Amino acid sequence: MEFSGTFELEDTTVDEVWLALSDPVLVQESLPGCTFLLHVEAEEADFDELGEQAEGMDRELTNDPEVIAGRAFREGERYAALMQVSVGPVNPTFETVVTIDERDRPRMHASGEGSSGDSSFEMSSSMALSETEDGDGVAVEWETEADVFGKVAGMGQRVINPVANRIVKRFFSSVQEELHDLGVEAVSSSDGDESDDRSLVDRVLGRSKSTDSE
Amino acid sequence: MTIDSLDPEDVDAADILGSAIERREDPALLTGNAEYTDDIQLDGMLHMAVVRSQYGHARLEDIDTSEAEAMEGVHGVYTYEDLTSDETPGGGSFALPTAWLLDSLEQVPHPVLASEKVRHQGDGIAVVVAEDRYTARDAAGAVDVAYERLDAVVHPSEAFADDAERLHDDAEGNVAFDWEIGDAEKTADAFADASHTASIDLENQLLIANAMEPRAAVAEYNPGTDELEVAMTTQNPHVHRLLMAGVIGHPEHKLSVRAPDVGGGFGSKIHHYADEALVAWCSMMHEAPVKWTATRSETYLTDAPGRGHETKAEIAMDDDGNIVGLRVDTMANMGAYLSTFAPAVPTYLYGTLLSGQYDIPAIYGHVKGAFTNVPPVDAYRGAGRPEASFLVERLVHLGAKEVGMDPVEFRKRNFVPDDAFPYETQVAVVYDSGEYGKPMDEALELLDYENFREEQERARDEGTYLGVGFSCYIEACGLAPSELAGQLGAQAGLWESSLVRMHPSGTVTAYCGTSGHGQGHGTTYAQIVANELGVPYDSVEVVEGDTDEIPQGMGTYGSRSAAVGGSSLVKSAQKVVEKGKEIAAHQLEADPDDIEFENGEYSVAGAPARSMSMADVAGAAYLAHDIPAEMEPGLEATSFYDPENFVFPFGTHAAIVEVDPDSGEIEIERYVAVDDVGNQINPKIVEGQIHGGIAQGVGQALYEGAEYDDNATLLTGSMQDYAVPKAEHIPEMETESTVTPSPHNPLGVKGVGEAGTIAAPQAIVNAVADALEPFGVDHIDMPMDAESVWSAVQANATADGGAEPAGDDADPGGER
Amino acid sequence: MTEHDITLTVNGAEHDLTVEARTLLVHALRDELGYTGTNVGCESSLCGACTVRMDGEAVKSCTALAVQADGAEIRTVEDLGTRHDFHPIQEGFQEEHGLQCGYCTPGMMMTALDILEENPDPTREEIREGLEGNLCRCTGYQNIVNAVQNAAKEMQPAAVADGGESDDDPTPATDGGEEL
Repeated sequence: MEFSGTFELEDTTVDEVWLALSDPVLVQESLPGCTFLLHVEAEEADFDELGEQAEGMDRELTNDPEVIAGRAFREGERYAALMQVSVGPVNPTFETVVTIDERDRPRMHASGEGSSGDSSFEMSSSMALSETEDGDGVAVEWETEADVFGKVAGMGQRVINPVANRIVKRFFSSVQEELHDLGVEAVSSSDGDESDDRSLVDRVLGRSKSTDSE
Repeated sequence: MTIDSLDPEDVDAADILGSAIERREDPALLTGNAEYTDDIQLDGMLHMAVVRSQYGHARLEDIDTSEAEAMEGVHGVYTYEDLTSDETPGGGSFALPTAWLLDSLEQVPHPVLASEKVRHQGDGIAVVVAEDRYTARDAAGAVDVAYERLDAVVHPSEAFADDAERLHDDAEGNVAFDWEIGDAEKTADAFADASHTASIDLENQLLIANAMEPRAAVAEYNPGTDELEVAMTTQNPHVHRLLMAGVIGHPEHKLSVRAPDVGGGFGSKIHHYADEALVAWCSMMHEAPVKWTATRSETYLTDAPGRGHETKAEIAMDDDGNIVGLRVDTMANMGAYLSTFAPAVPTYLYGTLLSGQYDIPAIYGHVKGAFTNVPPVDAYRGAGRPEASFLVERLVHLGAKEVGMDPVEFRKRNFVPDDAFPYETQVAVVYDSGEYGKPMDEALELLDYENFREEQERARDEGTYLGVGFSCYIEACGLAPSELAGQLGAQAGLWESSLVRMHPSGTVTAYCGTSGHGQGHGTTYAQIVANELGVPYDSVEVVEGDTDEIPQGMGTYGSRSAAVGGSSLVKSAQKVVEKGKEIAAHQLEADPDDIEFENGEYSVAGAPARSMSMADVAGAAYLAHDIPAEMEPGLEATSFYDPENFVFPFGTHAAIVEVDPDSGEIEIERYVAVDDVGNQINPKIVEGQIHGGIAQGVGQALYEGAEYDDNATLLTGSMQDYAVPKAEHIPEMETESTVTPSPHNPLGVKGVGEAGTIAAPQAIVNAVADALEPFGVDHIDMPMDAESVWSAVQANATADGGAEPAGDDADPGGER
Repeated sequence: MTEHDITLTVNGAEHDLTVEARTLLVHALRDELGYTGTNVGCESSLCGACTVRMDGEAVKSCTALAVQADGAEIRTVEDLGTRHDFHPIQEGFQEEHGLQCGYCTPGMMMTALDILEENPDPTREEIREGLEGNLCRCTGYQNIVNAVQNAAKEMQPAAVADGGESDDDPTPATDGGEEL
């Protein structure tokens, strides 16, 4: 099944939103039902281990571009999320692994799969940011193609569609709130001084091309 | 006409056969005293739940049962390996057999639990046995299955594609069989010489039976006697016993299968599924009673769906409007494995009905069965015959239009003439009896057809689109004789057995090997037996559905119970009467040839005062103080009745609909059904069967359909998404009958269980096509929801360059 | 799993029982108390087979939790009438052949009583609307509608019924002789 939509964030800029959406911590906080969202270092994502790792971590929301840059999503890398979703009468917890296929401001593309005992899904999702017509905000155009399997699939599109839409809506509302609460500001291109051989701007803006990295 | 039911006490004994008496089954069902399978509670009973595949097609990489096994209240978790292990009860095939073979059939293995691959969503992977049903389900959810998902196919046309993923190693191209009937060459010649032809390309969608009672089983193994008793939702306990004995490896004589009250079946409880066998096995494994009751979600995933055809067909006519040929090419969905009687459904139950009610000189049918990733497809009410009748009646509708004839006139011109019976078709069957014009005329009168056509004209001028559709259906019931069934591929005889036992006091118990599940056999069989023996209706008890009580049996499906089971009871009762005659002659000191039997009284011809009642004879038979020498005491008889042929009910159904081309909504204004099911044992029960059948046909036409996504995940897996019609969806039905007794059985009955379902869909689709004729709409696939109707109107409007109806060429012969 | 002590009054008889929080009312009735006349068709409140009357209203006992019914008065099919003394709704279903397999029938009758309590003389359309939450796969509904009409006639007070043959009870049907 396919879902798509546009969400408008007010009173912000493309760079600010991009920065926010580059931060796994902010995304984790904004995703309803998400227990953790972590970079997967190992070959296989072991959710028990990742859960322990998440408990031991001390990551906070920040508006510091330097901190965000240090943990920002990276193209080609895999991330694991544990997410509980309410679908009709059931609340399955999905162990989800997503690969960032493309990250090139203002576009991002990710794909992955999640499973939860008797249900699972496979998805491919993309997102593009643009300035709204009035120039006062940012439009996030998103689309997701998903195959849903098992018990959840059996509940039918009439149940699943509203669930998907609700998650997306709550996610972006929450992103908007965090943006305001934190006062995230986009970095200017003059920032330098970094250990990564890409510029900070490149890192948070998702540009991978400057020099060969990793 | 609504039939008024009668209190049996108000009916004279001589009139009991054919009376619309109230059903004796009802008091138990109306007071909550009925016993359905899930009502059974036994001491120490455990509960089973099944771990099912969430994918339509996948390789199994690992099944981890450890977490489930460790749960409190769980007694065991079993996979295919456990079933076949030396440590567990066994010796069975643990694979479900196919009971109908075809020459080209690819018999693929169907393990009761998947071991390497799952081939449809809901395919069983493991079973859990636990203390209660909640724990069993929880534990089933805790079994961790690792899959490698594979591409899936849903429709036969996808399954046959060159790059399609193969389901079974042995079934190349996913072909289950390739079958034909009729004469290809002769039919090709007929088409070459024809003046007119019409064709159609259609899908007959997959349907799910949706019996209100989900499938269930309770098994109780007695380790002391090695006896295993299974109570289950079945339409044919003896067939299930025979098949299950082989599947679980428990001898047939140590296995009993009983059908308690069964809450509807419509075909879905004929087949031998894995679940019931697994319950039986778990009971042996734990030496304890075990229950399994499907959730509604499970029934959607595992009950055998029916229909599932993709068909191209054409009809050929000469200049005078005579049908000269019919040609059919069908791809039939068989699902993931071959279900019990599946190979028969799209072949011998379909191809043999392609002549409909018509005298067609050349017919050819070709059917290719496909393995796909939907659950195994098998018989659903009508089974093959609705698909045939739908196709024939849609072609006839289009044929009439093509030659410019009124659809009624066209049908009448082509009916098998009354004097042609018995009529041998071009597709291997001989119709027993029929007067096909009679129900049609009755229907026309009910509809006031001439006036309707005028009203239709007027309404069209005002922008209201009415249509009338006809369905002149034929069905074949009571497939027989057994020798023929064997030649066609059945791995079973299709006789029916019965036992009629007089008790010493003169009351009677009648046993029959059929197994009713809502049809009221207790009532109709008692009417039959009371009539034969001349004893009061209330003196006859009927026993069905228990392998321990009834000699043998083949069960209830294919509208066979009255024709085959009822006739078997007649035969047994007649044997009882004959033996009674000898006893009466002996006691009355007369020659048996001089004894007359009428209304339950034996009397000496010419001396009516010298008489004995049936009850007195029964008493004498058991006293055995004074019966003929050499005669054994007692008065009972068993029969195995094997009919000489099928019976062929027929009739005309007609629907009047109003279609709103702007919204696509369809309103059924009238529904008229005139059925000829031969003699009627109980007209009220006949009416009920017709009503219920039509409702399911209306469901297929307008609402129902099993839909799967590209991964073969069921999208209509609940009553929210699969539209079982509600009271508001079903029109008031006007029913009438004609009676043409069948010469093939002693009751002259033809079978009624499936008639309505077979007849209804095409009446409605033809009516919608008639209503939308001004828009050039010839066909809409079922279910005809508002969107598909609207789209069809738009598509043609666009093709014609405007959204308006195509001018004033509203006569049925307008150009196509 | 937490357990709760609850009291259910079923057909006038009080029962104390201990159930898990998640136990459905229908399973408490059937498995714990043995009232198996109420059937389970879908476990999702869509088919209506499990309909019982709780404190005078039709409810689907497959979506009510047993703990929610604590203290309630439940009426099931077992309380309607015996084979020798049918309730008019049972009589209607028998006379009109309003049932075949009988699985939906107990729920159907409980909903029918609800319909008749609100509207003692419903039209055929009103009956069909009222039965919206109860599915039957056997009858095609026509004889069920007849059955409800038949019962309505029987349950009407004398003044309204044709010929006043039903009984002499002057109280209106809604709160009259038959406790719904």
